[in-house]
Amino acid sequence: MIRFKCNGKAVQLEAEPEARVIDVLRDGLGLTGTKEGCGRGECGACTILLDGKPVNSCLLLAGKIADREITTIEGIASEDGALHPIQEAFLDKGAVQCGFCTPGMVLSTKALLDENETPELEEIEEALSGNLCRCTGYGKIVEAVREAGQRLMHESDQQGDA
Amino acid sequence: MRYLKPSSVSEAADVLESSRGMILAGGTDAYVYMAEGFCHPETLIDISSIDTLRGIYVATDDREEEVIRIGACTTIAEIAASQDLPTCLRQGARAVGSPQIRNLGTIGGNVCNASPCGDTLAPLLCLDARFVLRASGGTRVIACEDFFTGPKKTVLKPNEFLEFIELPASSCGKASAFRMIGNRKGQAISQANASVSLVMVDGRMSDLRVAVGSVAPVPLRLGKLEEFLTGKRVKEVSLAMFKEPILEGIRPIDDVRSSASYRQEVTVALVFDALAECASKDSGECEGAGA
Ligand SMILES: Cc1cc2nc3c(=O)[nH]c(=O)nc-3n(C[C@H](O)[C@H](O)[C@H](O)COP(=O)(O)OP(=O)(O)OC[C@H]3O[C@@H](n4cnc5c(N)ncnc54)[C@H](O)[C@@H]3O)c2cc1C
Ligand code: FES
Ligand code: FES
Repeated sequence: MIRFKCNGKAVQLEAEPEARVIDVLRDGLGLTGTKEGCGRGECGACTILLDGKPVNSCLLLAGKIADREITTIEGIASEDGALHPIQEAFLDKGAVQCGFCTPGMVLSTKALLDENETPELEEIEEALSGNLCRCTGYGKIVEAVREAGQRLMHESDQQGDA
Repeated sequence: MRYLKPSSVSEAADVLESSRGMILAGGTDAYVYMAEGFCHPETLIDISSIDTLRGIYVATDDREEEVIRIGACTTIAEIAASQDLPTCLRQGARAVGSPQIRNLGTIGGNVCNASPCGDTLAPLLCLDARFVLRASGGTRVIACEDFFTGPKKTVLKPNEFLEFIELPASSCGKASAFRMIGNRKGQAISQANASVSLVMVDGRMSDLRVAVGSVAPVPLRLGKLEEFLTGKRVKEVSLAMFKEPILEGIRPIDDVRSSASYRQEVTVALVFDALAECASKDSGECEGAGA
């Protein structure tokens, strides 16, 4: 039995501690937004947040998430289905083509913008260096990350004013 | 397969002694070995959540000397971000994989994996690091230069694991730099890397250490080059003068990533570059753990 927090909710699950977290998520919890590309830590399609930090769920053994908190792409939009500003920015900027890399890209972006809403180009490239995209050529993804940062800043300004 | 998560180092040492299982830290290398079928451990001993194996702080070593102590399970991301560590080690950590890999992977895993291209090995060698190895009977300390015995081979016995890495407190007063070259910018394995540490005394290089990785079965100190450079001003030396003492020291191989002759050329340039960065600062730049 493994206990952890997933997308804000406490989860208890029968799983082998040496199973991969990506399998626990997809097969055990039905959270299929997390994608498997290489299965070897190279492509980042399987990126999730572990205590707020991006990690490859294809390399992560289930025993390692006991008593910790993970966030998957399903935990990014709000409960009522409204998209997160990062997701909106990806759509608006045309940063999604086939979409296979997108869950991982969004989570790496979330980890970056949680720390810094106005990253420099170099910081964006660094934050996304573990996420491969075979479609977009990255330009539009970088634009989307910038745009998302602006929107988040705007949001927190407004909240500050309220 | 049994998966164990001991809560202290003594428990980990006892379990390792009795089971002769495989130590698991971040698992970024270990997982890939298991998935590729290179190893089939019966017992995995996950030491990554043992509190005392994490963190960077000032301590006194077995010789009563002040050291910067790094827990073996400190993540590569924590090393890269630490203000308390010499520049070359932070730069080496930053060169490892991707953010995702650095958040999972540990410095102890990088060391014990003993890949000739491990990016923290040359930095640790040029900082005179010492490794504290733990077994159920107690600990022993071994110098970084005696630890690696071949590609993926170390002096670790089956009942031992790495507990701490220790750097002399004085390493924070040195200027240091790391350089690597891979085949692309993000997430590339080093084809060659170099790390230099030194102290400038009246504009002259002293207390110099030059270490290189990926160009021999183990990371190497370039003693001949250190001798040649000691006491000189950086302006007096040129890349051409460098070549001989470097090429005498290294034994690169041809492999899938690059050729031996490319590695030789590039190593000379990387060492020169790292040296130039060191010389441009006149003293160390880290604050020292806990300072
Ligand atoms: C996609 C990808 C990219 C990578 N890129 C790089 C790179 O650019 N540069 C680089 O240097 N490395 C790279 N690596 C390799 C790896 O991520 C690092 O070597 C990492 O530091 C390993 O740490 P870990 O904690 O994950 O080790 P683990 O996988 O947990 O362990 C590695 C080995 O060391 C042993 N071990 C671990 N800790 C200890 C200990 N304390 N005592 C005794 N034995 C121990 C284990 O038994 C195992 O044999 C990459 C890996 C992947 C998957
Ligand atoms: S599927 Fe995990 S990194 Fe590619
Ligand atoms: S949109 Fe297809 S891989 Fe990125």
